[in-house]
Amino acid sequence: MKFSVYRYNPETDSEPYMQMFEIEQRQGMMLRDALLAIQEQDESFTFRHSCGEGVCGSDGVNVNGSNKLACIAPLTELKDPVEVRPFPGRPVIRDLVVDMSQFYAQYNQVDPWLQRKEPLPEQEILQTPEERDQLDGLYECIMCGCCSTACPSFWWNPDKFLGPQALLSACRFLADSRDQAGEERLDKLEGPYKLFRCHTIMSCVEACPKGLNPTKAIGHIKAIMLKEAI
Amino acid sequence: MSRRASGLRAWFLQRATAIYLILFLLYLLQHLIFNPPDSFAAWQGWVAQPLVGLGLLLCFASLLLHAWVGFRDVLIDYVHPTAIRVSILTLFGFALIGCALWVMQTIFLATVA
Ligand code: SF4
Ligand code: SF4
Ligand code: FES
Repeated sequence: MKFSVYRYNPETDSEPYMQMFEIEQRQGMMLRDALLAIQEQDESFTFRHSCGEGVCGSDGVNVNGSNKLACIAPLTELKDPVEVRPFPGRPVIRDLVVDMSQFYAQYNQVDPWLQRKEPLPEQEILQTPEERDQLDGLYECIMCGCCSTACPSFWWNPDKFLGPQALLSACRFLADSRDQAGEERLDKLEGPYKLFRCHTIMSCVEACPKGLNPTKAIGHIKAIMLKEAI
Repeated sequence: MSRRASGLRAWFLQRATAIYLILFLLYLLQHLIFNPPDSFAAWQGWVAQPLVGLGLLLCFASLLLHAWVGFRDVLIDYVHPTAIRVSILTLFGFALIGCALWVMQTIFLATVA
């Protein structure tokens, strides 16, 4: 199987280029295995990965035009030759490794932790099964960044638009019966940028390897805002 | 409404005007299919009916508001230097106001004729 891989080492290359590799395809091989095989051929080739089972969220790459986690992308589902690039729109550190600090900064902006105003009880704060169900489809995010880096609105305004990942997280805490900072959370999302740059393009939904739906979460936040405003 | 409405209000206006535009265009379409006005006088008479006139005014108001929100969205997405964005937005705003005045004049003239 042929691979066209994005290469860039800012210390030695004046500009990025694509390099061809050929590897022997074995049964059950994922893209991460292919990248490891490529690394055996050329040790200078750099990419991030860790868990190898779609849990850590560190090996997001752009494959044949869509963002995927390499470790759970079967080679059999990819068109030969496979074009592998770093996430679009992020500054490249080296080869497939990009700088995600802006993405994390946006996540940080939604205060992604539980906030209580009442004093904390001695024991855990109980939820009914129904209240717990509200978190399904929101809490599973592994912060791989496949969604935000596939979002055109995030490409144009990554410093001002929070992006689908951070907004999904905002929704996760708005939906949590134990959280008591709903008002403040909504206030922080005000203005034309943080939330309302989303134009419901749904690239994020297509990209999410965990099958989550940030567009729906964003719609949910808008609905809560509307209800509060009238 | 709180300050929060600066993003919410634009978004809400966009949805609300879109719904009105669809409904009114459906009405317009059925009118043109089932009793198309065959003369200038018929057109004028149609527009002169108070409900039609009001509907048309609202339709153009919606259209212009919708255009404003949409155009502003495009500029916020793609045109980042503030000075350029404000200039384009101002020009566009004046053009929309011009259109609005023109529509009001047309409907007013049809009503008094
Ligand atoms: S739905 Fe919104 S957040 Fe998702 S890709 Fe589109 S613009 Fe981005
Ligand atoms: S929502 Fe999905 S694509 Fe986005 S960061 Fe979370 S797991 Fe990754
Ligand atoms: S290596 Fe952990 S998600 Fe792919």
